[in-house]
Amino acid sequence: TCSLPFKTLGGVENMKCGGFMSVLTDLVSNPAYCGFRDRKEWADLEPVPQDDGPNPVVKIAYSDKFTDVFDYFRALLKKDEKSERALALTTEAIELNAANYTVWHYRRVLLQALQKDLREEMRYITAIIEDQPKNYQVWHHRRMVVEWLNDPSEELDFIAEILSQDNKNYHAWQHRQWVIQEYKLWDGELDYVEELLEEDVRNNSAWNQRHFVVSHTSGYSDPSVLEQEVQYTLKQIKKAPHNESAWNYLKGILQDRGLSSHPGLLEQVLELKETHCSPYLIAFLVDLYEDMLESMDGGQGQEEPLSKALVLCELLARETDTIRKEYWRYVARSLQTRFGSGDPSVPTVETEPQTTPASD
Amino acid sequence: MADEDGSFVDFEQIDFLRDRHVKFFQRCLQVLPERYSSLETSRLTIVFFALSGLDVLDALDVVNKPSLTEWIYSLQVLPTDDQSNLGRCGFRGSSHIGVPYSTKGPGCPHPFDSAHVAMTYTGLASLIILGDDLSRVNKQACLAGLKALQLEDGSFYAVPEGSENDMRFVYCAACICYMLNDWTGMDVKKAIDYIRRSMSYDNGIGQGAGLESHGGSTFCAIAALCLMGKLEEVFPKRELDRIRRWCIMRQQNGFHGRPNKPVDTCYSFWVGATLELLDVFRYTNFEKNRNYILSTQDRLVGGFAKWPDSHPDPLHAYFGICGLSLIGESNLRRVHPALNISDRALEHMQQLHRTWRDTLHCSSAICLKTS
Repeated sequence: TCSLPFKTLGGVENMKCGGFMSVLTDLVSNPAYCGFRDRKEWADLEPVPQDDGPNPVVKIAYSDKFTDVFDYFRALLKKDEKSERALALTTEAIELNAANYTVWHYRRVLLQALQKDLREEMRYITAIIEDQPKNYQVWHHRRMVVEWLNDPSEELDFIAEILSQDNKNYHAWQHRQWVIQEYKLWDGELDYVEELLEEDVRNNSAWNQRHFVVSHTSGYSDPSVLEQEVQYTLKQIKKAPHNESAWNYLKGILQDRGLSSHPGLLEQVLELKETHCSPYLIAFLVDLYEDMLESMDGGQGQEEPLSKALVLCELLARETDTIRKEYWRYVARSLQTRFGSGDPSVPTVETEPQTTPASD
Repeated sequence: MADEDGSFVDFEQIDFLRDRHVKFFQRCLQVLPERYSSLETSRLTIVFFALSGLDVLDALDVVNKPSLTEWIYSLQVLPTDDQSNLGRCGFRGSSHIGVPYSTKGPGCPHPFDSAHVAMTYTGLASLIILGDDLSRVNKQACLAGLKALQLEDGSFYAVPEGSENDMRFVYCAACICYMLNDWTGMDVKKAIDYIRRSMSYDNGIGQGAGLESHGGSTFCAIAALCLMGKLEEVFPKRELDRIRRWCIMRQQNGFHGRPNKPVDTCYSFWVGATLELLDVFRYTNFEKNRNYILSTQDRLVGGFAKWPDSHPDPLHAYFGICGLSLIGESNLRRVHPALNISDRALEHMQQLHRTWRDTLHCSSAICLKTS
């Protein structure tokens, strides 16, 4: 087909002893690239170069091969050609830059126009995602193919495989939630979540998925479900006390009903405080006392929960969560203002504005 | 230089190398190696990072403003003669489609040429940073293009051909309306509803309903609401306090984007700016934040990386600098935490808006006089 190598590395000029060897090895490891320009089957097409005008900015230095593939891609785009060679070219373009959303869109147009085998496309996109699991375009493409096939049967296993490599991959979780919600595949998902939490109880994505599943199935209004979830979470906290995700889940499922309304919870948490303390536990108690104060609605007995909350804020500021000390003092001041008796003898904490540690 | 306990502090490790970063951004604006090919369709966002970065560094004098301005305008997707492509108007990310270079209309018909919401946002922002008066922007076309991207649930696609939809593009849409001073480009009620539904049980905000709360999407949501002027209308104080708590818990030394994930320099901006918008950034630990950001500084090449001893890139360079600006680092311009441009650039935008308003009043006054 081509009469000349497209490009030789090293160059024929480099014919010194060592130079000759390197030209040879170069040709072996980089076989001559035959560009589209030189292929008969593409002779009808005029390549379209990128045009950045007289002063290009953020110009990417593409190799000749890269430029060649995309110059021909642009030519096909302009023609809106619908052909096998066009589909083949999108495969090459994707290999070079899987983030080019125009290439993916054009590929989808071709898949439909040429009535291509979508099962084969699923195999293709599976391989691409395995290779580049943090790319937006590949996941969107998979979603489109699944929709066209109206077949989600491979999805949960596939996503689990991707999550086994990175169990917090946001794209994977997003795709998983879409599949489950769209095709009502709730069965077994809670088990899957528990498996993941067994592996890593600190996996925040798994906790989020737990909430996703429960809220869309039984919901949290059923008191036995709520209690089950509370107990499950407390169990996980006992296993790993310093875990923001578990505490966020506990607070999250109870906060709208009022933390102080859940019978026995305060006592359980106070007990945990002795052996399984953490900044999250203390903060939870502050929030619980705040809720207590709110439901008292200015009535009798506010002094006790208020002073408990203020003591805990100071504990957080001085000892347990010092990085946020200014914040916890702000929380204390707010509580004092909202629920305090306005007694001028009660000390309030003043803060000076922070100065930036100087760099000069 | 000794620190508190008398030990010798290695000052060299914690100083901000301004001139290195200027050179880093200058290089970004020139030529990037082929390994950056995945950025082709979003080159305009790289221009934004470099320009806004240089602006915050007060080093815009090193760029050729006129030629940059022309290049940006060449990316505008303008209406064709028959105006049949209005839903595709706005800005492209680059010349990758192969449309011939042109800085003026009418638009060139092409079956696949359309704008991208993040490019329209960064294109407009870049023009404003360059001091352009946006007189060559077809604002109505941009707004028509934006309207075409909004879904029933209130979120936005990136492109009219379809794409994923999430909080990132809600933010881009809000920035576009804010910069063009025209909210007819979106259904604000629907957008607000999408934001509300994206709040998680843990009081952070995810990319969409049910999704894990994340520092990036939380910024996008809160900043969008601030730009709309709707923050307090959408979230009562109790909810704002909950969001504040979620955000402030992201500080580990620097910030991370999700509970139990490693910190990353860019979250010093995403979460830092959100905290600033919620008026509690001052309660964070500035020193630990600063020390982390500077630990990711590349002392040789300039720029910042997500982690220490990693390769810098334009995004982390920009957000590292913005993160430092939030804590008041000397010799950095202040950054508007919602719109993410310098106060200086914002002032220029506000002046433009005043001019547009005055022009409108003048022309309606003339109408009244002659009628």
